[in-house]
Amino acid sequence: MSKISGTVFKIKRFSIHDGPGVRTSVFLKGCPLNCVWCHSPEGIGSDISIWYNKNVCIACGKCVDVCPQGALMLTGEPEKYISIDRRLCTTTGDCVEVCPTSAIQFTGWVTTPSEVICEIEKDIPYFKTSGGGITLTGGEPLYQPDFAFEILSMCRERGIHTAIESSLFCPEEVIRQISDKVDLFIADLKIFDPFVHRQHTGESNLLIKKNLTFLVSSGKKIIVRIPMVKNITDTEENINSILGYAGSLSKNIPVEFIEYNPLAGNNYRRLGIPFPLDNLNKES
Amino acid sequence: MPKNFQIIPASERVLSLRKKTMSSERYISIGQAKIITRVYKENGDLPVILKRAYSLAAALNEMPLAIDPEELIAGNRTPDIRAGVVFPEAGLAWLEKEIETLPSRPQDPFGIRKEDVILLKDSIAPFWRGKTLEDNIYNAYGNELSSIEKVVKINQKDHAQGHICPDVEVWLRLGPSGLLEIAREKVKIAEGEKRSFYEAVSITLKASCNFINRYSELAVLMAKEEQDPVLRKNLYEISVTCKRLSEGPAANFREALQSVWFLFVILQMESNASSFSPGRMDQYLLQYYKDTDPDTALELIDALFVKFNQIVYMRNAHSARYFAGFPIGFNVTLGGVDSEGNDATNELSYLFLKAQDHIRLPQPNLTARLHKGSPPEFLDECSRVIGLGTGMPQVVNDESIIPSLREAGISQEDAINYALVGCVELSTSGNYLGWSDSAMFNLVKALELAINDGVCMITGNRIGPATGKLENFSAYEDLEESFRRQIDFFTDKMLSACNVVEEFHRRHLPSPFLSSVMNNCLNTGTDITAGGAKYNYSGIQAIQGANIADSLAVLKKLVFQEPIIDKSELMEALRNNFEKKEPLRQFCINRCPKYGNDVEWVDELGAKWIKYFASGLKKARNYRGGPFHMGLYTVSAHVPMGQNVGATPDGRLARTPLADGGMSPMYGRDKNGPTAVLNSVARVPSHLASNGTLLNMKFLPSLFRNETDRSKFTSLLKTFITLPIHHIQFNVVTSEDLRSAKADPDSWKGLTIRVAGYTAYFTELAGDLQDEIILRTTQGENE
Ligand code: SF4
Ligand code: SF4
Repeated sequence: MSKISGTVFKIKRFSIHDGPGVRTSVFLKGCPLNCVWCHSPEGIGSDISIWYNKNVCIACGKCVDVCPQGALMLTGEPEKYISIDRRLCTTTGDCVEVCPTSAIQFTGWVTTPSEVICEIEKDIPYFKTSGGGITLTGGEPLYQPDFAFEILSMCRERGIHTAIESSLFCPEEVIRQISDKVDLFIADLKIFDPFVHRQHTGESNLLIKKNLTFLVSSGKKIIVRIPMVKNITDTEENINSILGYAGSLSKNIPVEFIEYNPLAGNNYRRLGIPFPLDNLNKES
Repeated sequence: MPKNFQIIPASERVLSLRKKTMSSERYISIGQAKIITRVYKENGDLPVILKRAYSLAAALNEMPLAIDPEELIAGNRTPDIRAGVVFPEAGLAWLEKEIETLPSRPQDPFGIRKEDVILLKDSIAPFWRGKTLEDNIYNAYGNELSSIEKVVKINQKDHAQGHICPDVEVWLRLGPSGLLEIAREKVKIAEGEKRSFYEAVSITLKASCNFINRYSELAVLMAKEEQDPVLRKNLYEISVTCKRLSEGPAANFREALQSVWFLFVILQMESNASSFSPGRMDQYLLQYYKDTDPDTALELIDALFVKFNQIVYMRNAHSARYFAGFPIGFNVTLGGVDSEGNDATNELSYLFLKAQDHIRLPQPNLTARLHKGSPPEFLDECSRVIGLGTGMPQVVNDESIIPSLREAGISQEDAINYALVGCVELSTSGNYLGWSDSAMFNLVKALELAINDGVCMITGNRIGPATGKLENFSAYEDLEESFRRQIDFFTDKMLSACNVVEEFHRRHLPSPFLSSVMNNCLNTGTDITAGGAKYNYSGIQAIQGANIADSLAVLKKLVFQEPIIDKSELMEALRNNFEKKEPLRQFCINRCPKYGNDVEWVDELGAKWIKYFASGLKKARNYRGGPFHMGLYTVSAHVPMGQNVGATPDGRLARTPLADGGMSPMYGRDKNGPTAVLNSVARVPSHLASNGTLLNMKFLPSLFRNETDRSKFTSLLKTFITLPIHHIQFNVVTSEDLRSAKADPDSWKGLTIRVAGYTAYFTELAGDLQDEIILRTTQGENE
């Protein structure tokens, strides 16, 4: 048995918009980019912390009683809620353990490829009838390359169709190694201009383009996706550049436009961090 | 697939008929009650079966008739459309009490004519007092029934049984005249009871021929007066059709549909019961369809679909709240396999689906039989029609059902030819009295008694044997032992009670006309209520596996294994309906896995008791000598049943609804998507539920918005066929829309919803049932 483990923050079954057929999407935690519009901020950091859903909290105070660090406080009038002092929290999980509503939860869990496979195998009958399979996504699935590789290999052994949704921002050798195990790459191309890309994601996209070129040249099946973020990625110029670029690489790369999830702000609130796009939207 | 059937529009004529049908005012009708009362008075000393036959014959000969010149299929049991027919033999008690409030009741009101009320009160009701089925059952067995009613609800005490799939094929092939010939031959050599039986059959068949002929005569009269040439031609066609049917079998498609409709009208006139179902129409009608062009055929089917909504079943105020919109269970089954095991889907299967697209009314109840060889086009067409959001067709699985019927003792030939009756009940075609819904067994209440020493948590009264309290159980096994004893105690009582009810049916409601179209009644000279059908089952519903699994999981894991929850604290909280114990309740809900999330050990906890319950039914035979068997469908009884049950360890509050359907997870507690639900449901031993099962699933309309997404839904249907699950039905609607519809019923009048094995208008349902439907998990809604 391999000793590889990894961090996952969500496993979604009957996922129907992440590749062909009915799929199980596995969300790997951690991402090297820092996109201002990221709609799952809980997937950015590699470390596990806690997050809090005010909507289901019944303000029973049990979490406050057990916290060894005094990081929690019941506050608010008239509707009480929990405020978390994240500087004090050492992620002991005592609060998670006692919370009756699961309002406080960990933002992810450490697991092994075999455990993930167990979850995936449950839906093999549905993959079979629909031509579906698994999709590794994130976060950035290639940020945990060994873990991802192991899961994909195990899927292959079981005849499960494999897809990976990635920004392709990763070392070239990672792409080279893993591409053998992937039936479909869903490449998120956000911004064509390298400088603007850096401005909104923290990194330039030269590596991304290089990796994409490699995948095209090795004959991999690819879908390009553009997340439609208002005034950032959805400008005519950006879309046309990406379309032109994809077309120049190969004639048969489908390009999909992904509607932006209007509920993204909730996830930031649960993490207790500001939502960059909120400010951006206000400015514009 | 018929060519281009997709683009055939609904004709103006059928749309107009549809409109007239649904907008006609409903009145209560006592015409037939008067006739029945008169015949019973005049023939006091005849055997009941003959009184019944003469009453039906008199109604067939005397009831006023009406034909709408536009209609392609004629016939009804009253001249009014959608009349609430009063039927005295089975029971009048509720009507005597409620007649004045019928026009003003919130659900399914009926207009009343003053003179009818007087007649009913002064001359009809007094004659029947003490003579009805209901009165006699209560006099003989009332105390016993009420002593168990919190756990076991015995049904069919005040109306005829229905829930039958008659032998339509033989009716089409021979017609009433052909059947009459057989009966007349048999009378000659029969003696005693059998002689009365054959006489009774002959009387009703002769009157049936006359009834059909009266339509022919009326149509001619009307045609002579009619100015519009199109309508005149139609009336002549009705006349010719009816004339031929009164004298012989059906010869073409129109005659066949008309003939089928007359059969169901007359069955209703004899029994006034829910759920006489036409069964596999695409199969037995195929030979009549041959030379018909699809357009003509489809318009006729559309017209018949409208007709299915013209007979309604009047219920008392209480049950109307839960069966709003008159689900009467004209269940039409499509597709499936043929006698060789090959796919039986044909052009008619598609035309029937298209008719649903055209008409979109609560009746008929449409069922598609799927199997491994179902053609992809058929699956896709089913998905498309499901996506329209009318809740139909519901789908059933040959691969799971046929073996289950075989296991229950049904021959291969008959099992292959199964159809659905009423909502979701399984039946063979034309030879099966399944006595569906004989009783409902509330396992959740039994569990309450098992942890509370046989004492009802709501009233504090002892209603079951003293089998111990949770506080005193030292191991989970003690709890199981206690549960077992409660189940055994009530099962024994239930089985005896069911047989008492059946015996009274035989005494009060022999049904010679129905018997004439049920194998082997005519051959053996035995009425259907006396066991004349080839198969004699009684279906008992186990309610509700989901709450049992969820509650036992909490008890097993959190109370006995870990143990995080203290026994006395939990019992105290349950007895007080979790008052001031919300954290504990939330803990029970959130910190223990629930049925419907593909967690094997939880699912198995429920499955174990479903199995145990089913085996207990084998302890006795029913009154007709057949087996009792299990059904896992609640229709909408999960709401009133829930009102009997105190707070439960799964975190459900006292008196709130139980899980819906029969197989569905508790509403809102399945969080892992539809594949997880199906995997959990597949662990329930459906094969033991040969009476039928019911699984509700709710999907977002967006899943049907394009072909790619729809194909993912279709793939779920394909997987369903590989799983041991009998049935699924789908609502396609957003919770948001349902909330709006509840708040603003006027703007949402047309919204139909699949309640539980039947479709109803959402805005007409009782508030608590509406709420429960809103709370059901919508697949695709939580990210
Ligand atoms: S324990 Fe959970 S429900 Fe109670 S106050 Fe803390 S977060 Fe809210
Ligand atoms: S994880 Fe531990 S330290 Fe952090 S808030 Fe919860 S109880 Fe306190």
